Amino acid sequence: MSQSLVNAIIAMREEDALKITKELIEQGTDPFEVLATCGTAMETIGDRFEKGEAFIPELILAGEMLKQITDFLKPLLGDGKQAGDALGTFVLGTVEGDIHDIAKDIVAFVLEINGFNVVDLGVDVPPAKFVETVKETGAKIVGLSGFLTMAYEPMKLTVEALKDAGLDDVKVIIGGGQVDDQIREYTGADAFGTDAMTAVKYAKQWN
Amino acid sequence: MTPNTKIIACATVIEEMLPLIPNEMSYEVLDFGLHRTPEKLKTALQEAIDRTKSDIHTLLLGYGLCSQAVVGLRANRFRLIIPKVDDCIAIFLGSDQAYQQQSRQVPGTYYLTKGWIEAGDGPFEEFDELVNRYGEDKARWLMGQILKNYTRLALINTGQYELARYQEYARKTAQRFNLKYEEIPGSTALVKKFIQGPWDNDFVVIQPGQTVSYLDFKTNRSNP
Repeated sequence: MSQSLVNAIIAMREEDALKITKELIEQGTDPFEVLATCGTAMETIGDRFEKGEAFIPELILAGEMLKQITDFLKPLLGDGKQAGDALGTFVLGTVEGDIHDIAKDIVAFVLEINGFNVVDLGVDVPPAKFVETVKETGAKIVGLSGFLTMAYEPMKLTVEALKDAGLDDVKVIIGGGQVDDQIREYTGADAFGTDAMTAVKYAKQWN
Repeated sequence: MTPNTKIIACATVIEEMLPLIPNEMSYEVLDFGLHRTPEKLKTALQEAIDRTKSDIHTLLLGYGLCSQAVVGLRANRFRLIIPKVDDCIAIFLGSDQAYQQQSRQVPGTYYLTKGWIEAGDGPFEEFDELVNRYGEDKARWLMGQILKNYTRLALINTGQYELARYQEYARKTAQRFNLKYEEIPGSTALVKKFIQGPWDNDFVVIQPGQTVSYLDFKTNRSNP
């Protein structure tokens, strides 16, 4: 793993991060290894954010850096390896009444680079829209995001709406803000996540 | 009973409480910035509870659920009273219902009060710092990302203080960041009842030795 790439991302040195990525590829490093390195850097930034040592702007900048690196790596990732056929469809959105999407966008990005087909419904998404999209796409996994504690109620309503529509086999994960097992239980979701990799872990498990 | 009641409140909430607090009631203010890291806020609150003197019978926590920062708090010798709201915006608007209503009307609202403006700790004040750190262009792009889904900047008028200075600040800020400025009516109803009682269904009441849980905020909630 390239420590200099990790350091560049953590220090928000966008140009350096891209330059190091290009050098690594020129030196013959596996693009998937470069992606994994980016994942490690992102996890560190996530940890710092949780501890109050990094803030929203850093999360956004890191997300943007990762996007640029992935755009550069994309042509090299093909050939049906990890990014070939999509692993499955993951319906994702910020629940009704909440408009925060920084965490959701990071999750969408990380799921995509891990091979999932992500249907991102955006923000302030009513329960009925989730139900409709799950029916249309046949997705088996739904991610409900929300930053405000006010979002727990619409999360609960969305889980109920999915059950009421007979979509009992659909797995639901919640995240985006301060969620824990008590909130998971309250909302009726199957899992909760406080970082993007948890969504990937469950999605692979449920796939 | 007032001398046996103490208040511990966030710097933004105390602004709305100060004109109503009786002289004999003591209070302590915690840093507003703590709300950004709920774990730190939780620790600070528990420490403030633990150092509260033994002659206190009732401790009023001027907070809401605040990203679950209050969940897990406990006091062994006195009871805790907390407004049954998600966060301070409901306190300023006077009720949980008023907050839900505003939120339903315009979900992308950034709320301001005197306390929030004076704390100077929001994304707007951070802009200059972002310019210093990342340069003007990147700072503008970042603010655009942060405020992407926000459409309205609402100044809550609780009628507790002279608003002119804050109106000017809020209006200018809205203009600078391309948000619709609106002044919305607040209310002191919840703050008044919080200080004077009765502590009915609008409050979470935690008896000595018990622990605050999320469900305390969901049970017997006044219906919107």
